[in-house]
Amino acid sequence: MSWETVIGLEIHVQLSTDSKLFSGGSTSFGAEPNTHVDLIDLGLPGVLPVANRGAFYKAIRFGLATNAEINLTSTFDRKNYFYPDLPKGYQITQMALPVIGKGSIKIEVDGEEKVINITRAHLEEDAGKSIHDLFEGETGVDLNRAGTPLLEIVSEPEISNAKEAVAYFKAIRQIVTFLDICDGNMAQGSMRCDVNVSLKKIGDDKLGTRAEIKNINSFKFIEKAINYEIGRQARILESGESVVQETRLYDSVKNETRSMRSKEEANDYRYFPCPDLLPVVISDDELNEIKNNLPELPNEKEKRYIEESNLDISEAKIIASSKTMANMFEEACAKTDDSKLIANWLVGDISALLNKDNIDLEESKLTSNNFAVLIERISDKTISGKIAKSVLEEIWESGGSVDEIIETKGLVQIQDESLIEEIALKIINGNPSQVEAFKDGKDKLFGFFVGQVMKETQGKANPQSVNEILKKLLS
Amino acid sequence: MDKKTVSTIAYLSRLSLDEENGEKITKDLENIIKFVNQLEDANTQNIEPLSSPLEKTAKTREDKVTAQNRKDIFLERSPKSNDDYFLVPRVVE
Amino acid sequence: MSIQYKTINELSQMLKSRDISNKELIQETFNLIDANLHLNAFITLNKDASLLKAEELDKNLSLQPLSGIPIAQKDLFCTKDLRTTCGSNMLSNFIPPYSATVIENLENAGCVSVGKTNMDEFAMGSSNETSFYGNVQNPWGDKLVPGGSSGGSAAAVAAGIVPAASGTDTGGSIRQPASLCGISGLKPTYGRISRWGMIAFASSLDQAGPMARTAEDCALLLNQMCSHDLKDTTSLDETIPDFTENLDKPIKGLKIGLVKEFDLSQLDKEVVKVFEESKKQYETLGAEFIEISLPNISLSVPTYYVVAPAECSSNLSRFDGVKFGKRCDDPKDLEELYIKTRSEGFGDEVKRRILIGSYVLSAGFYDAYYKKAQQVRRLIKNDFDDAFKKVDVIMSPTTRGAAFEEGSKGDDPIQMYLEDLFTIPANLAGLPALSIPNGMVDGKPIGLQLIGNFLEENKLLRAAHNFQLSTDWHKKTPKRDIQS
Repeated sequence: MSWETVIGLEIHVQLSTDSKLFSGGSTSFGAEPNTHVDLIDLGLPGVLPVANRGAFYKAIRFGLATNAEINLTSTFDRKNYFYPDLPKGYQITQMALPVIGKGSIKIEVDGEEKVINITRAHLEEDAGKSIHDLFEGETGVDLNRAGTPLLEIVSEPEISNAKEAVAYFKAIRQIVTFLDICDGNMAQGSMRCDVNVSLKKIGDDKLGTRAEIKNINSFKFIEKAINYEIGRQARILESGESVVQETRLYDSVKNETRSMRSKEEANDYRYFPCPDLLPVVISDDELNEIKNNLPELPNEKEKRYIEESNLDISEAKIIASSKTMANMFEEACAKTDDSKLIANWLVGDISALLNKDNIDLEESKLTSNNFAVLIERISDKTISGKIAKSVLEEIWESGGSVDEIIETKGLVQIQDESLIEEIALKIINGNPSQVEAFKDGKDKLFGFFVGQVMKETQGKANPQSVNEILKKLLS
Repeated sequence: MDKKTVSTIAYLSRLSLDEENGEKITKDLENIIKFVNQLEDANTQNIEPLSSPLEKTAKTREDKVTAQNRKDIFLERSPKSNDDYFLVPRVVE
Repeated sequence: MSIQYKTINELSQMLKSRDISNKELIQETFNLIDANLHLNAFITLNKDASLLKAEELDKNLSLQPLSGIPIAQKDLFCTKDLRTTCGSNMLSNFIPPYSATVIENLENAGCVSVGKTNMDEFAMGSSNETSFYGNVQNPWGDKLVPGGSSGGSAAAVAAGIVPAASGTDTGGSIRQPASLCGISGLKPTYGRISRWGMIAFASSLDQAGPMARTAEDCALLLNQMCSHDLKDTTSLDETIPDFTENLDKPIKGLKIGLVKEFDLSQLDKEVVKVFEESKKQYETLGAEFIEISLPNISLSVPTYYVVAPAECSSNLSRFDGVKFGKRCDDPKDLEELYIKTRSEGFGDEVKRRILIGSYVLSAGFYDAYYKKAQQVRRLIKNDFDDAFKKVDVIMSPTTRGAAFEEGSKGDDPIQMYLEDLFTIPANLAGLPALSIPNGMVDGKPIGLQLIGNFLEENKLLRAAHNFQLSTDWHKKTPKRDIQS
């Protein structure tokens, strides 16, 4: 029996506005519990929501970047259910008329390109957090996150396997970070996703019953959860039974999905238009303003790097694929006019370090500023390339500032040619037999002399000058 | 109105209908629904539903933080809390 | 000098000419409250703060328009640091950390909020018999209801305890008690008065409004209550006129609409007689009566009883025992927390409306009920739009009869719902409407309703004021004058 997998993803993207979707409460992460809660976020009797225009602007950027229909007039609805971190007992969302309609995005899996269509993207408010494990027999509720704007992006059920799902998720993450509408920080929950999985017989038109796996926030778990679920549903269908339409949770410890909802009545959300919020209208002028100020997307950056900065295709691709790396590249280029040098470092040493530690650039201790200064010091010859590698490693491990490290460790490159010549002469005079052997034709011994000069200067001599001077003296 | 519908609606509303008032409330609901069924007779073809008497669009806010930290007063005036959190019985997911 | 039954203007005059000091006025007010405890008009009193404010006003001569005027505030408005219950057990311990915009507006204009008035629980009711804090008595007779939901506010004004009170009107909750208590009350155009801080019952229908002894006093209060509030996006951005301007300009030529579909022959003969007398009075003042048709008006009450419960079922979900208000004792789990807290915290009428609301919004019923009701609502609004092309104001009795006895509406909620037959349509269409006393039936007062077009409170107030210049129904006071 052969089954075809049909997957749809609903991705919740936390928009990087300063304030919440309906109140002036702060959205910044990591604050003490319940300190970023406005009267409106608490849902006190008598409070009323007022929509944040900035959230609409960010949503529209997404619509523009995905060639989507943009509904300049959109409305809000209430989704009613009870949960401790949902203060009003309903969530304000956009059901009937979302701000963003149909769009699409390209993904790449194993070198093959595929277009995934997006059904819609709508604004809604996030709930607070329920902390289950801190207090004996009780759950603590922190409403800091309540009211934070989310953009819920719903894909068509056109994804066929776990790899494509991950690629789609990554593509969305790339777009939202490049558009500056979300920081893409998975660890902080800036992006979460619900996955709908169903199976059908190959060639069948009718979709099978789907299960929804809620709230996954890592690429790895998306892949594992999907694969487990495909296996689970296949086993059920093979045995002649039917899949139950339900919500499931992925348990990363046991690597399995578990059924979540015990009462199916809980699913009647009784959507209706929110009477406190009139339709929001974005003007054509505002739309044009957003269009004209749209941040550069990866493929645009790639093109520009190739054309203007002379990078080759693979370099451009790597640097343009991550917003953090692209920013780092551009900031360094602004300080030092040597894009090739900068690209080499990013694609070479830094990428290697990222791989070694298995982290993303934004998780590292290297700041854009540090990198830019490092490049500057190499370019102005304050330090050599080799020394720079050790400075980089120091910063990678413990942070700090480039100039401070150079200062403290006395790493400034020796540029003084007369001093280098003095040392070179000393080495030459002290090693007559090697000089003899070199002049006889043992070219490899050149390295010996270079090494000795470097050793004498603790590696700080400018390698180029050392080479030139030794060449001159040994000729 | 059958018993299941009533108990579903009660659960959705998180209200309990005990022996005493359950029957009365069910009867009341039936009568009220019968009363509002009059709406069936209205000819509403092509009529746009009215969700607000105002024919206007929303004023929105600028994206700015304007709220102050009022944690102390919120927690103090809540039914159950500690220094940092509102507390509810342990939720098992 | 007695302050009982005085109007705002009269009290302002007394204060200005130093016939009474601010402190004396407030002290007298509290004496009146004490002497009328049997009315049960108040849930929470604000004595200390009121006396303090009065002392301040005595020290600093104030030019505020309502300086020193004692006002009773319906317990549906949040008042900072002063308990706000909404007539419910659920909020019996609720101390808001902020005040409603309308409260701030009135207090900034110099009003002294002497206390929070009793009301039907969460504004659901037409007789003030559903309050957790007990029934309110109509000053006009023992065991008579004052009407609802703003029963306490109406009783306080009718008994002459305060010249002014704030009320709210979702289906008639200002006008109906005004009628049954023999006072004047106005519901403005939807959006005139900010809903920030007004505990929501049915968001697209709720409006705050003044309740006072005369239409002129209502205008004085309305001037201060209205504002464009950025915290309420349904708050109107229209210019707020001076509602007291040109009130006594004659109303010759005023076109008054009589609704064909309001079959008055169904009403008590005495009620019809009073209404006919009022018509004659208006004719004397130069008004012209025109018959108009509001073809869908008979569907107003069923429409209301779909829309209002739907909105309230959602608005009241925040009462869950988690962040504010009451919580049940020792819930063993989350389910019990919700179910027990809400079942104990809410009274029967509130429960009924929440259940109806959940029902009409639920999957499978939404289109047939909620969507349908909102469509009929538009039909009703369209009917009014057409009617106002022909007339300036629409007139009807406010209620089907005078105050009835407690408990007399029996067990059938629908009997109570039909009390709001005449008042509900204006809420559905968002139109301004008022009620003024226009006669007596069996020794009990009854009211006349005027409905105006969008933003035309001036026309209503002028028509009402002119009526009050030439009649004295609004001057009548209950036989049992309880003096302080």
